[in-house]
Formats: sequence, structure tokens, C-alpha cells
Amino acid sequence: MKSVLVNTIVFMNKILTQKDGFLDGFPIFLGYFSTAIAFGLICRNINISLFNSTLISMTSFAGSGQFLMINLLSNGALIVELFISILLINLRYVFMGASLNQRLPKNITRLKKMIVAFSTTDEIFSVAILKPQQLNFKYLFSLELTSYSGWVLGTITGYIIGIALPHNLQLALAITLYAMFASLWGCETKKHGYKIIIIGLTSALINSFFILILNIAIGWSFVIAMLSATIIGSFLLRGEHV
Amino acid sequence: MFNINLPMLVIVIIASIATLIPRFIPYFTPLIDKIPNYIKEMLSILPIAALGALIFPFALIDFNPNWIAGLIGVIIAFIFGYLRFNMIVSILLSVVATYLILMIL
Repeated sequence: MKSVLVNTIVFMNKILTQKDGFLDGFPIFLGYFSTAIAFGLICRNINISLFNSTLISMTSFAGSGQFLMINLLSNGALIVELFISILLINLRYVFMGASLNQRLPKNITRLKKMIVAFSTTDEIFSVAILKPQQLNFKYLFSLELTSYSGWVLGTITGYIIGIALPHNLQLALAITLYAMFASLWGCETKKHGYKIIIIGLTSALINSFFILILNIAIGWSFVIAMLSATIIGSFLLRGEHV
Repeated sequence: MFNINLPMLVIVIIASIATLIPRFIPYFTPLIDKIPNYIKEMLSILPIAALGALIFPFALIDFNPNWIAGLIGVIIAFIFGYLRFNMIVSILLSVVATYLILMIL
């Protein structure tokens, strides 16, 4: 019992190193790599160049935001609609950043803070915030760099795989983008229950009604559908932690 | 192909700015702690609520008149996502299903 306690204290006090960041980042690397393959495939499918696809992954580094961007682009949204939609879907980073910021060393430089801020993603945030120790820049930087390289390399890999595919299969590839959202939807449903299906169907129905019946522009329709389903969802899921 | 008549580079930069604003705000402004909890809760639901509208109606429109192929592809991906298959596996199975349906139709 005593030795367990001592071990725990030693563990708690152990200073996080670059190596820890790499080890914690490796599972994220694998996850990002495979998701980014899908992103690269989709980019190629809607005729965005390899250079631009890679640049999107390098400058945005945001799964849902990037897939949303591609979706709106390929369906002809306006730039204002694109901007607002991406901003809204990424607003959750404000709260992740707020809690991560409190765990940073007080004397951290502005530049280092900016690097940490740039790479706030759902997964990096979750891994970092659950560390019992004091966070330091060395650890965070190697955690982020490992994850970031998975995202960028995966995008390039996916794009190149796409070139090698036969023509007939490329027609069916139009489904990739939607399949990726649908698999996320299935995964969230498994985690949080049937209410997630209802929330998703709500935004699906509102969006379809606006676009097919009322002919509202895709970007605005998306924003309205997303916000309405969020409000309905917050009533459905009240008190549950999502 | 795109409605936006801007160079792709400009679009990429605008998308990046829209992503970076919410990431940078909490590190450089102290306002965030005053936001009520129910708003925070809503913002965590937002990405989930977006999923339905990201799929429909365009998963069907893109395959018109064979919209059934798109619908089946979406359902397959949902099921394998629910069963916790790796995302890329779910997507590939969905592509195969869509491909087969398109061949039959």
C-alpha cells in the first residue's frame, strides 16, 4: 500500500518530457492519418489540387471544419457562408482553449502560446487536459507535432491513393464525404444513445426542406439547420455530458 | 465547379482564419470564463447537430437519379460507425456498397 502511494506521488511529480508527448501523440497520429486519408481522397474527388489540399490541412488542422469547407465548396456556397459556418463549427475550441490555457506555465512566451493555440483540436485537448502533471511547452509541442504530421501526411497519402483508383470506382467515391459524416454519426449514436439520431435527422430534414423546397442558398440553409438542431438537441440532452 | 470566383488560395486562407479565431481568443482574452454553462453545453452539441445537414440532401442529389445508391452508402457507413469500426474501414465499405448498387441500377 505504501509503495503504491509512493509510486503515485512519483508519477504525479514526474515532469512531462518530449518523449511523453510523442508517446501520447502516437495514437492520435494513427487516427488522424486514417481520417486525413479520407480527406485527401475527397479533395481529389472534387478536383482540388494536391498542393491546395495539403495547404488546407496545414493551415486549418481541423477535421470537422475542413470536411465542412469541402462540402460547402463543392456544393457552391458563398465565401461569407463558408466563413460563418466554419467559425460556428469551430466555436467549441474557445472553451477547450480556455481550460487548457489555465494549465499552461505562467511564464510561457507569446509565440509558444500561439503554437499551442493553433493546434487545439478535440483529441489533443482531451489528452493534454487529462494529464495530472503540470503541462509544459516541450511536452505539448511534441504531442502536437506528432498529431499534426499524421494529419498532413495522411492528406497527401489519401490524395495519391485516389490517383491509382479505376475510373468506375471513382464515380462511387462521391459517397466518401457523406460516408465519413455518417460513420461519425453512428459512432456518436453508440456513445450517447438514440437521441443523437433524432438530432441528426432534425438538421437533415430542415436542410433538405430549405434546399429542395424553398431553394435557400446552401450555406445559410446549413447554418440555420445546424443551429435549430443544436437548440433542439440541447433540450433533448439536457444534463447529459456530451 | 465552384460558385466562388476567388482563387483557391484566398479560400484556404479565409477558412484558416475562421478556424484560428476561436482557437486564439481564449489564450489572449479573459472574457471566456463569464460565458454561462448552457451556452457551453450547446456548443458541444453543435458539431453533432451539423452532421445530418452535412449529409442530406446532397448525398442523394449527387447520385440523382440513382439517389438510392447514396442513401444505402450513408446507411452502411452509419451502421459500421455505430459498430465502432475504424472510420476509414466504414468509408471503404460504404464506397463498395455504393459501387455495387450503381452497377445493379
